[in-house]
Amino acid sequence: MRQKSGGASFVCVQLLQTLNILFENIRNETSLYYLLSNNHVNSIIVHKFDFSDEDVMGYYILFLKTLSLKLNTHTIHFFYNEHTNDFPLYTEAIKFFNHPESMVRIAVRTISLNVYKVQNPSMLQFIRDKTAAPYFSNLVWFIGKHILELDTCVRTDVDHQSQSRLSNLVAEHLDHLHYLNDILCLDIVDLNAVLTEHLLHKLFVPLYIFSLTPAPPLSMAVVTQNLAAVLNKVVNIDMQEMSNPRVSAVVALYLLSLVFLVITHGPLVHSLAWVILNADHSVFKEGAAEVLNAYIERREVVALGFEQPRESLEEALDTVVGSSSSSLENRSMGGESSSGSSSRDTSQSRSVTEQVEKVNITDEEKEKLRQMEDTSLSGGVDTNRPFLDMVLASLDCTENDYIALLALCLLYALANNKGVSPEWLEQVLSKPAKSSTRYNTVLVERLLHIISLTSQPSCRIRLITLEITLSLLSRFARTSSGDFILTELQQSVLFSARNQAMTILRNFYKSEDIFLDLFENEFTEMSKSPLNVEFLCMDSAILLPPTGTPLTGINFTRRLPCGEVEKARRAIRVFSLLRKICQEYLSEEEVLLPLTNPSNCVQVDNILDLNNSDLIACTVVTKDVTKYRRFLVIDTLQLILVEPDPKRLGWGISKFVGFLQDVEVVGDKDDSRCLHITVHRGGVSNNRTPILSAKFLFDDHIRCMAAKQRLTKGRSKARQKKMYQIAQLLEIPGQMIEPPIYPISGVRTASTSRLPREHRPLFSTANRVPGFAAALRRESMPSGSVSRVQMAPNRSIVGIRNENTQRRRRSSNTSSTSSSNGSSTTRERSPAHRSPRRQESPRNNSPRSRDNSPRVPRPRSEEIPLEDFQHSRNSSPIARGSPSSNTPSRSHTPSRVLCDPISISPRLTSGTSDMNSLAPNGVSVMIAKEAAMNSEETSFIAREEKEKRRGGVETV
Amino acid sequence: MSYAYLFKYIIIGDTGVGKSCLLLQFTDKRFQPVHDLTIGVEFGARMITIDGKQIKLQIWDTAGQEAFRSITRSYYRGAAGALLVYDITRRETFNHLTTWLEDARQHSNSNMVIMLIGNKSDLDSRREVKKEEGEAFAREHGLVFMETSARTAANVEEAFINTAKEIYEKIQEGVFDINNEANGIKIGQQHSPTNPSLPGAGNQGGSTSSGCC
Ligand SMILES: Nc1nc2c(ncn2[C@@H]2O[C@H](COP(=O)(O)OP(=O)(O)O)[C@@H](O)[C@H]2O)c(=O)[nH]1
Ligand SMILES: [Mg+2]
Repeated sequence: MRQKSGGASFVCVQLLQTLNILFENIRNETSLYYLLSNNHVNSIIVHKFDFSDEDVMGYYILFLKTLSLKLNTHTIHFFYNEHTNDFPLYTEAIKFFNHPESMVRIAVRTISLNVYKVQNPSMLQFIRDKTAAPYFSNLVWFIGKHILELDTCVRTDVDHQSQSRLSNLVAEHLDHLHYLNDILCLDIVDLNAVLTEHLLHKLFVPLYIFSLTPAPPLSMAVVTQNLAAVLNKVVNIDMQEMSNPRVSAVVALYLLSLVFLVITHGPLVHSLAWVILNADHSVFKEGAAEVLNAYIERREVVALGFEQPRESLEEALDTVVGSSSSSLENRSMGGESSSGSSSRDTSQSRSVTEQVEKVNITDEEKEKLRQMEDTSLSGGVDTNRPFLDMVLASLDCTENDYIALLALCLLYALANNKGVSPEWLEQVLSKPAKSSTRYNTVLVERLLHIISLTSQPSCRIRLITLEITLSLLSRFARTSSGDFILTELQQSVLFSARNQAMTILRNFYKSEDIFLDLFENEFTEMSKSPLNVEFLCMDSAILLPPTGTPLTGINFTRRLPCGEVEKARRAIRVFSLLRKICQEYLSEEEVLLPLTNPSNCVQVDNILDLNNSDLIACTVVTKDVTKYRRFLVIDTLQLILVEPDPKRLGWGISKFVGFLQDVEVVGDKDDSRCLHITVHRGGVSNNRTPILSAKFLFDDHIRCMAAKQRLTKGRSKARQKKMYQIAQLLEIPGQMIEPPIYPISGVRTASTSRLPREHRPLFSTANRVPGFAAALRRESMPSGSVSRVQMAPNRSIVGIRNENTQRRRRSSNTSSTSSSNGSSTTRERSPAHRSPRRQESPRNNSPRSRDNSPRVPRPRSEEIPLEDFQHSRNSSPIARGSPSSNTPSRSHTPSRVLCDPISISPRLTSGTSDMNSLAPNGVSVMIAKEAAMNSEETSFIAREEKEKRRGGVETV
Repeated sequence: MSYAYLFKYIIIGDTGVGKSCLLLQFTDKRFQPVHDLTIGVEFGARMITIDGKQIKLQIWDTAGQEAFRSITRSYYRGAAGALLVYDITRRETFNHLTTWLEDARQHSNSNMVIMLIGNKSDLDSRREVKKEEGEAFAREHGLVFMETSARTAANVEEAFINTAKEIYEKIQEGVFDINNEANGIKIGQQHSPTNPSLPGAGNQGGSTSSGCC
């Protein structure tokens, strides 16, 4: 028994494996020719192995794949016999195109593509004449059946239960499309003509397009027909059309989107676009024949209809192969017949450019378009473009955006496909200026309606829907020169949507830490992931009804928000998106976002002028007990650790930077000179490990307390400053300084709700005189002077490094009191030295008025010392150390904090597990952190008072 | 030749790292001592036992199929396990791992078990990639790691079998949807152990088309 069945397969396996090894290893062309020349290989290929044995199947198909990789214009003759019309390597392989094992199917695709790639005209002619129709018709049928399966899955899975099955079906379908596209991209004109015709007439039109419009009432038709039969009468009902299988409209829109996203072959996408945009139901009888005629000279007219080929591929190939009669082919393809008159030669010699030219509109098409335009304009309700009407009608989001999202995907894909002539799309959907088309008006109005709905509280529209809508609006509501064209009414819809979104977001504006973190997170997330419809359409989740629960694993923008935090996130995004489009509309530049301009931030290895800056000497002890001697600098937004610059006195090199807003400070109960400082990784990140977590040892308790105070204060000020910026962004009454002006109802008027300025500006950037900053510092930060440690001008830098702590403390104390600020300040006031930060808020040009407005409703941001702290970029033409880090053209998605390799950042370990649980954890972490900070601050205030008094004593 | 489960593997990595040799060593327990040649073994199957269950491992080498986009995007899907191989004597094969891994992660089922293999451990004198580097890479990307030698057979069994064990555990935990063949796992017909080859074998294509994928 084993001898018989097992043994035979064992022999086969060994044979195939050995052959594979043999052919794989042949480098020498001559020996390859020798091996191939006696046709033994072809007899092995046609041998009927036991393909039900999966091992035999595997070895066999990979053997064919190995052979196909050896194909070139020379070796092709050993496999393809012109005289006998025999090409077993290809014909045997494609018989397995629908094998249940996916790896086999993949190998078949590889083999076929390797074959088509060989530039051999007579072989390609054989492929086209003898195999293309049967292979492509079966392939298309196979794809179609797969789609019906996909459709069933969508219909039965409203609850997202079998998502993995659905996503596999979608991925599999995308494989098919990419395979078709790979064939089409080989640009084999004749082959593409056959494939295009089959795809259009056997799948895209009869299954996809057909499914766009509602099903004709089948029961009625049957009744009528039965009645007619009884009465012996002839009725004109196309039962074929009635019983045509269909998929749901959602699936049809989705599949069409995929076609336009993946396939770029001009004749195919152009014809399909034509059908969608211009055709009526008569297309089910005629197909896209007219359009296709413009492209394909020798058309193989394929009867329209989604139906199983009469013959299986294998049967068809068995009849075709080896016979030279072409009538067989026609028989095998049922209703197809050859037409077209031009000779083979001309069609083959047609160059690619010629073909591309054909993509342009023919006069005939233009005429037709014009006629349609006229009729649709005059005809009113009844149009003859049912498919386009359907797509546009699907944009209605009153209930939800389930089908609208897919219709938007289709419009987006249509508008962005390289094969669809833009000029031609323009004719139907967008006509610039005064006489905009009816369809353009409908489209723009529908888009605006979506936008308007999205800005309503608790609406059922997903963020991704809004994103595509906006992208389409800025595509279709513009003239060819790029200007927006909206009527006054439309414009007011757009701007009131923006204002509505702003009102909603204001409700979430709180002075809590979490709002700022959310706001910045959403902003960076949005700029990191711009709209990518191709990615979106790989996600099978959009085929199912929208859901709100994150438990499905669906990406946040592709579902509805769940809970308060997500609602806030959504409000932030909706507002940002609408703000952006309004700015685009007004051709305004964004000046308020991002909240932190990375180019104004100090980076690691920047060389900084620290003359006249507040420095606190400290020793940083990391977790692995490495010690670094550093100076702590607290800027407006950043915490910076610097090392003295050995080359220039009074200058320092930044070794670590972190944002003050992410700083957490804890004292040490055992050591009064010690602080535990953690700088968290701001922003959305899967990485929750802080960028710095270290013990800071100061020279004495006072410096330690000063550092703590300034860090804590710095943190809250940095946050206040940003909250204030957001308030400005949201035009929150009482926070505004000068609200941006938006036109309301078409008229550009300044908002009258503007409140009088009652706020002290954040910065006093103007009117500064030398020494002002120093004076200011004394006035506003009494404790600052205690901690102000300046690099002694008379000591060598090396000396600083090598000094022991005791000595340092003494000498730095002396230097801080004895140093004078005057000269250096003057130098820095020269315009060339002004850092861009100085111009941060140009509107705030009123002088400091701290003492004039003692009571302010909101916590204020005060000017933080370090006035004179500058980038080397601004003050020294040559950035020493690392020239690259000073170049202004940094990446647009800045990492929040840059950290030098030798400094303290712990190596990031990516935990894959916390990716899914990120949202809830992140939130709780943040809340906990916030609570900690609040209590910290409470205790801090009391201490500040004490500190103030003491500080005063010490400095004076 | 009946089995409880069939696990489909793919084996990926630069050419010449020893993918075919590993495959041959695992399935046939032999090593082809040819030099500077690539061994054309691209498919193999072997039965192993885990937890008292017969499990068939079916390994597909996808070499040479990278030329077309449609092909690369499809072969990662449909595999339950992947062996990602580099050659410890050639640093560039190690440097390319990120690209391979990106591709695999992008297109594969998220549950796919990936085993990182540093092959040719017998050539220690010509080593260019330290074992620690392999370990670090694996740790960083959440892979299982092993150094093997297709020549001496060291760790070859373990590499294939440990991967299978991990897949098996995932099945026990219910992570893998075993009813979906697209995940690279097939349930065997335990109850018909005989009759491996059915009559009418000539009719492979059209008749079996339903229910694939
Ligand atoms: N010394 C040694 N050589 C090996 C080992 N594995 C493979 N080779 C050699 O490496 C070369 C390429 O191997 P191959 O399996 O064809 O690589 P592939 O292209 O990845 O399939 C061959 O010459 C093998 O003999 C091994 O473990 N040790
Ligand atoms: Mg190989």
